[in-house]
Amino acid sequence: MLPHTRFSRRVDPLIRRIGHCISWLWLALLVIIVANVLLRYVFGEGRIEFEEIQWHLYATGFLLGLGYAVERDAHIRVDVVHERLSERFKAWIELYGILLLLLPFIALILVYSVPFVWQSFSLSEVSQAPGGLPLRWLIKAMLPLGFLVLLIATLSRLTRVWAQLFFSVQSAGKDTEGRDAR
Amino acid sequence: MPANELLALLMFASFIALVFTGFPVAWLLGGLSVLFTALAIVLDVDFHLPIGVDWNYTSIAVDRIWNVMENWVMVALPMFIFMGLLLDRSGIARDLMTSFARLFGRLRGGLAITVTLIGLLLAATTGIIGASVVLLALLGLPVMLREGYDRSLASGTICAVGTLGILIPPSIMLVLMADRMAMSVGDLFLGAVFPGVLLGVLYILYLFGYGLLRPEGAPAGRHDPVDWGAVRDLLVAILPPAGLILAVLGSIFMGLATPTEAAGVGAAGALLLALAKRQLDRHGLREVLYETTRTTAFIFAVLLGATAFSLVLRGLGGDTLIERTLLGLPFGPTGILVSILFATFLLGFFLDWIELTLIILPLVSPVVAGLGFDPVWFTVLFAVCLQTSFLTPPVGFAIFYLKGVAPAGIDVATIYRGVVPFIILQLIGLVIIFKWQALVTWLPAQAYG
Repeated sequence: MLPHTRFSRRVDPLIRRIGHCISWLWLALLVIIVANVLLRYVFGEGRIEFEEIQWHLYATGFLLGLGYAVERDAHIRVDVVHERLSERFKAWIELYGILLLLLPFIALILVYSVPFVWQSFSLSEVSQAPGGLPLRWLIKAMLPLGFLVLLIATLSRLTRVWAQLFFSVQSAGKDTEGRDAR
Repeated sequence: MPANELLALLMFASFIALVFTGFPVAWLLGGLSVLFTALAIVLDVDFHLPIGVDWNYTSIAVDRIWNVMENWVMVALPMFIFMGLLLDRSGIARDLMTSFARLFGRLRGGLAITVTLIGLLLAATTGIIGASVVLLALLGLPVMLREGYDRSLASGTICAVGTLGILIPPSIMLVLMADRMAMSVGDLFLGAVFPGVLLGVLYILYLFGYGLLRPEGAPAGRHDPVDWGAVRDLLVAILPPAGLILAVLGSIFMGLATPTEAAGVGAAGALLLALAKRQLDRHGLREVLYETTRTTAFIFAVLLGATAFSLVLRGLGGDTLIERTLLGLPFGPTGILVSILFATFLLGFFLDWIELTLIILPLVSPVVAGLGFDPVWFTVLFAVCLQTSFLTPPVGFAIFYLKGVAPAGIDVATIYRGVVPFIILQLIGLVIIFKWQALVTWLPAQAYG
């Protein structure tokens, strides 16, 4: 269990809050799918807007959830070897992994997705489907936004790994890990 | 070997090696794509080895992610996850266990058959191996042990049935596979129906035979005689989940709904069921929604990482390398297919289906298609191979998940002994599917009438 830091105590509840808020999107998505199916059978045709809203909601949900999954440590690991390592060794792996792999990946996506969104904005791009949704840049902006949340969650985790490695006396002290999930 | 292919080989080897560090697979894949792009640029600029991969090329990853975002078919994924979690949490599985056990309890091996049937019904909706193995273990293992079942038999049954869930539609693995293979989700769902049922039937026949030949290891329960009340209770318990799955598959089969719509309607049905049973309060619903977000996020994280990884690997010429190597094998087309399946089986020892589906499947699928094999048939074989590999010692995923929740007295060796018969059944099933291709291809051909 990683110790908390001043930064992580401030930021983690925020990340959790985002994760919890977007979780309700799944319910909205469900309602819209059912409504669209009903429309199709009652009035003979579904609405393009409804189909587009569906993937707008789903994309928002999984992108903004990336950081939440980091905060909850839910991402898949292959733990055949991992679970037999000492806490300290795991923390070293985590430190190098975040610095050499995760942060560069976040940087790649952030650096190239911002111009991607900007181009859409400056062209006032809209959906090509007849009756499609306007403001295409808004949904495209969820990509950098999701990775921004991921970046913040990752930095918070980085401070916690750092604390574990270099100030591990504190880890024996107060640990607020217990209050979660709500 | 040209420098770029050497780099591709190195990239793949780094992935396999570093995956054992236990760092999240998604970020490992994404990070390697950045590191190897940087390496390619260094080689190009400082050593004048033109590799053909630079930042411009790797930035295409953003467009690829956008394609995932606007992919309407993938909307089905969170909906199926939500539906599976709801069925798990709403006590539907528990009701099934009680009522099935009343009906089959007097049969030798009846409880193990009960577990198999529940697994077939419910695991169909989760598609997450860990979740179904844990669910079945908590539900069925204590009962079987109390009734005096052989420990190996009990644990082997749970491992096998728990992994079968990823194969039986509507499973999220099949949705992802269809997406990567650019085939219709409906076709793959329908193609997997008979192979899944075949394996389930093989399991049940084995358990039935075990009960006949070694009744002391699979005793009949001491239950009340079967009466109409028991039959009615079973119907009441079985109708909702079975109806839900049939409705989802049926509407896809008849062409009434797309997989996305079927998933949304199925999830709505599961929600209504859970509410009707009064097993789900506000708090419970919130937990299920949160878990849906976490599960969806980790699956899509791997998808994003794998997108970048495959992009760079392809840029380095990794796909032509694989194609040349496979086609250069000293076998005919069937031999090449068997080699691919065997390699998949080996990789399945330490990689989960998510990584294998997202990385290996797209690499080998052009070769298989080029050899003229039916893609749906191949994908189903690939899926059965994966499932077998999750069962196989020493490092099958199912074994570890079961060990995690098994009561004291069930050690790894007991589980190993228990899964061996099921691995043999898997191989029999694999051979049957291999020999009779129509088992897979017949149903999709009848659909959408």
